[in-house]
Amino acid sequence: MRLTNTAVGIRPRALIPALITGLILALAVLLPGFTSPIHAQFLHPKITSKETTVRTVVVLPAKVNVVRDSMKGPEGMVAESDELSMRVEKMIAEVLSKQKNVTTLSPPTPPTSPPDQGGAPENYSVADFQTKFDDLLPRIMKKRSDVKKGRFTMGDEVLNLNLDKNTDAIVFIRGEGKKLTSGKTAFTMLVGGMPAYLRLHIGIVDARNGDVLLYTDPIFGGDPTTAVDRLRKAMEKGFKKLPAAAAPH
Amino acid sequence: MFLQKPTSFLVAALCFCLLFTSLGPLARAQKKTAPVEATPPPVREEFKFGNVDLEILEQSELLDSKFERDGLVLHDEAANAYVRRIGQSLLPKVLELERISWRFRILRDPQPNAFALPNGSIYVTTGLIFLVDNESQLAAIIAHELTHVMRRHTYVQNRSNRKKYLTMNIMAAVGAYAPGGIVGAVITIVTTVAPFILMATVYGYSRDLEREADLKGVDMMISAEYSPEEMVHVMKLLDKDIEGENIRLFYNDHPSLDERIKYLSSYLGARADKVTHQMELNRERGAYFEIMEPAMRHNLQLSIMAGRFRSAVFHAQRLVDFHADSENLFWLAEAYRTLGPRSPQLNEKELTNSSKKDAAKKRLKRTLEEEENELLATPAGKDNWQRHQQKAEELYLRALNAENPFPAVHRGLGMLYEKLGRANDAASEYEKYIGLAPNAIDRERISRRIEALRRTQN
Repeated sequence: MRLTNTAVGIRPRALIPALITGLILALAVLLPGFTSPIHAQFLHPKITSKETTVRTVVVLPAKVNVVRDSMKGPEGMVAESDELSMRVEKMIAEVLSKQKNVTTLSPPTPPTSPPDQGGAPENYSVADFQTKFDDLLPRIMKKRSDVKKGRFTMGDEVLNLNLDKNTDAIVFIRGEGKKLTSGKTAFTMLVGGMPAYLRLHIGIVDARNGDVLLYTDPIFGGDPTTAVDRLRKAMEKGFKKLPAAAAPH
Repeated sequence: MFLQKPTSFLVAALCFCLLFTSLGPLARAQKKTAPVEATPPPVREEFKFGNVDLEILEQSELLDSKFERDGLVLHDEAANAYVRRIGQSLLPKVLELERISWRFRILRDPQPNAFALPNGSIYVTTGLIFLVDNESQLAAIIAHELTHVMRRHTYVQNRSNRKKYLTMNIMAAVGAYAPGGIVGAVITIVTTVAPFILMATVYGYSRDLEREADLKGVDMMISAEYSPEEMVHVMKLLDKDIEGENIRLFYNDHPSLDERIKYLSSYLGARADKVTHQMELNRERGAYFEIMEPAMRHNLQLSIMAGRFRSAVFHAQRLVDFHADSENLFWLAEAYRTLGPRSPQLNEKELTNSSKKDAAKKRLKRTLEEEENELLATPAGKDNWQRHQQKAEELYLRALNAENPFPAVHRGLGMLYEKLGRANDAASEYEKYIGLAPNAIDRERISRRIEALRRTQN
């Protein structure tokens, strides 16, 4: 028996115009969105009802990781990732301060004293909370809108961080990005594929009971290690919905 | 001609693809069933570093400092010195290798795993420390990892990968795990920071390189007078899946483990010049547990925090069997209390691959509290919960009656009573805890709980 396309009712030629139209539409919708930052924000009901106001925060060390994608595969960028993490951390503190009047307090410093003098546990507790957020993050990402229902919490264990008594919230920052080599950029332009980008995941957690008060995940296209302006813009938009605290007198 | 018609060409192309894909697994299967060679491959003494290798080396150094900075390295001097001693004893005495500086460290991660970076840093996790029974088994793992470094496997594999476009797999792995995730902080870091190092060190090298590491590892164990058969025993221990996880790492990849057990047994059969007496192994086990006890307790805390409750119960029981002091009894009680409505062991059905996949999906959808509430709505869950809370209370009380009672027992009892709705008892246990440990790291948290409980009473 000869198997033909018409025998199973598929006519490829009829599909081509539809496919091309679909592709053009998809590009028209996705490309402008990707080059300018895309941002989604989800606020806990305590924030929307103004029961809780974020005035003072502690920003925990950011973990932003970028890889360089070349024709021979991805390569790590450990030093650049560390530098970017610090830049993101600093920028978030600036954005929160300028736009929302939020004061940033210094995070608990990992002790330098030997473990037998009580040095290690505090270092561990920051690391353990970072890990705890890493555990919670995929669940938040799975259903981000549930932040609005107050579904996610890290529990009252956050109090073990022993932060300043005035701290209202803790900021957790994660991010991943990709930088393309020139060869890969040319290849992507010709054949298609994921362009360079940076995506952040920012969670603001109540410092008293661990409730996730805000989750935002700004994303923008471009080289994550150099696109400073885009990064700032993405962050500014990322915190747009967060109510500003009263300006200090 | 037949192929001149486009439809026929399509059919021909399809047939070719089908044939190609069906022959691939066949070829692989033939490779698998090939007889196991029990002779280690020849030694490569010289290694010339290229730019690509130097880049990997630099990344390794940065990873080392990242682990330290992120608080993932265990600061237990006795345990670290012990691991260092094992590592040093395995190294050939006159060995000097370019660009290698040996470092042996323990990582705070409840997932049993070990890996080596090409700069000579060998890492074993607290989860692995807890899983193994004695020094020889830990030596087996370290010997395997040392071989990877000595034979420059990371560089060899990296060069080969760059040629073979295996990068698609790396990207798949990175895509599956980044960011965060429930695979442990260590893997998350390696995944996102150094994708290639992840492939080689965490998921394993090529089959040939792994075999070389296993067989050379046995030789190194014999030279250092460790029981070589413990290499096989440790593989069997690693085959145990307590949590029913769907995470494939090199050290829990079951089909590969089976194959490794087979060829190692065959290799040992050929040169079984040292078979250790059971009594000697028991003595070794006692010494191992004594040194590693604090690291094991730390791992229990990490397991509970990571929601690995079944592992916590299993390991805490081993610790209590070894030494039933107040602190170990406390950890067993904690493990039972947090196990809550879950069953202590997974049944056969829950350990099938499809069930593990389903469980992994569910884990991503629900928080731990939601999982508990869902289980509590079932009769089996309720029954488990009651049994485990009762068991936990018994163990806490035993811990209180033991010599030098551990202060945190009162905190554990407080949490248990709070959950049972016994507000007064809970508050008084918390107060006892604060009284005994006024500088505890969780003082603020417990004080707030006392306040809240007292408020509900008034």
